[in-house]
Amino acid sequence: MARATVVGVDMTKFGVHDSKLPELFADAAFPALDDAGVTQDELDAFYFGNAMSGLAENETHLAPKVATHMGMTDVPFQRFEDACATSANAFKNAVQAVDAGIHDTVLVGGVERCTPKTGMDTPEMTRVFASASHRQYEQPSGLTFPGVFALLTKRHMHEYGTTEEQLAEVAVKNHYHGSLNPRAHFGKETTVEDVLDGPIVADPFRLMDCCPFSDGASAVVVTNDELGDSFDGEGVDVTGVGHGVDAVPLSDKASLPETRAARDGAKEAYEDAGVTPSDIDFAEVHDCFTGAEVMATEALGLIEDGEGGPAAEEGRTRLGGEIPVNPSGGLKAKGHPIGATGTAQITELTEQLRGDARERQVEDARAGVAHNLGGDSGTTVVTVMEERA
Amino acid sequence: MTETVLTYADWSEALREGELLGQKCADCGNVTGVPKAACPECGSRELSTTNLPEKGTVYTETTVAVAPEGFEGGYKVGIVQVGEARVLGRLDSEADIGDEVVFADVFEHDGEPAPVFEIRQ
Repeated sequence: MARATVVGVDMTKFGVHDSKLPELFADAAFPALDDAGVTQDELDAFYFGNAMSGLAENETHLAPKVATHMGMTDVPFQRFEDACATSANAFKNAVQAVDAGIHDTVLVGGVERCTPKTGMDTPEMTRVFASASHRQYEQPSGLTFPGVFALLTKRHMHEYGTTEEQLAEVAVKNHYHGSLNPRAHFGKETTVEDVLDGPIVADPFRLMDCCPFSDGASAVVVTNDELGDSFDGEGVDVTGVGHGVDAVPLSDKASLPETRAARDGAKEAYEDAGVTPSDIDFAEVHDCFTGAEVMATEALGLIEDGEGGPAAEEGRTRLGGEIPVNPSGGLKAKGHPIGATGTAQITELTEQLRGDARERQVEDARAGVAHNLGGDSGTTVVTVMEERA
Repeated sequence: MTETVLTYADWSEALREGELLGQKCADCGNVTGVPKAACPECGSRELSTTNLPEKGTVYTETTVAVAPEGFEGGYKVGIVQVGEARVLGRLDSEADIGDEVVFADVFEHDGEPAPVFEIRQ
């Protein structure tokens, strides 16, 4: 029996949006409710994700504002914040609540505005993003988020010989996938040469190794297994959820390239679902930087340790390859509106497993995994979804 | 436990006086580079303050080009293995992974210190 069933999904295009946070969220959430064929009064709870609006837009206690905007002030709401893993954690909690019989049907989603529409330029937003690193023992050094993942990636390069060209191949692949996704922030392909010609952000990362600052929203409707066939939207089963954690600051993690939280989260999710990595047909992983995808594919057991770079180079993780990774374009090309990313991954898994992903459809997709990490990888939520039994 | 647990204030004051303080767990022996109320490995509150070695080896590093508001880009940040613990700080621009470095100075930002490690002469 499935933990829960997703019966409705949608997301806005990720990119630059003029609309305000509640408006932007409604642009994803109403289509998701319509996909499921449910109205607000049929919802038992609203689990809402947003990471940065307190810092970026002077917006706290955002869930009631969003709920009021959407005409659902009778639905108990709560907000989640776990940096970039914000809405994956909201989703995990919704799945567990539905599985435990606490709620029947829950709206889950997230919204974020990170582009200069918030009024913040790159140095200011870089400071806001750095708020996820340790306040006393990391921030005073001037560590940035590209810097955090650069520290992880350079150690991976040192231990395994991963090259800058291999990192660039991840960007090239995800831009190709993004070019097939009409909701992607970046719809254009790129080349290894173009990536390697870009300006350095934090070495080894150049501009095109980094995901963009994006605005956007995503939402999904989760119900219990028993009700999974009673909605308009074709149900897709959530069969496993794992939540791995690790110490913050980085200096207290035993190993940086292993991303232990992802390994623990994956083990828990696979065991929960009764699957092994070889049963997985595709993955949406948290490629905030190219090196993060390399480490994620290894931590999820989809690629052998140390082979994440060569795998990207050899096309093993490309659409049509042995294990397509980030068919949506990933954070790299689809975009990364922080609090919206987790449920955007669930949206992609659902569309792929329904066979609705059009040009970017993974052939014979029956089982997919989503990997959404928060902060310096200290929080990682892993979700396994499968075609409805 | 009667001994006072190391605080941020103690740690930063010592840093400015040229001492790198860490904590050792009496129960599991884990050594951590920055103060906590309990051992991150086993949860024990039996932590004693310990002096970390000034000399260490670079575990990883990056040069931050695009800096946050309030910083000028072009500096190196890294994690240094000092004895059994690791500490994050500013690094000599020449320091690469595996290089021997020594705790030599303190970088201050808005009144908050970070250790600076330089290549061992």
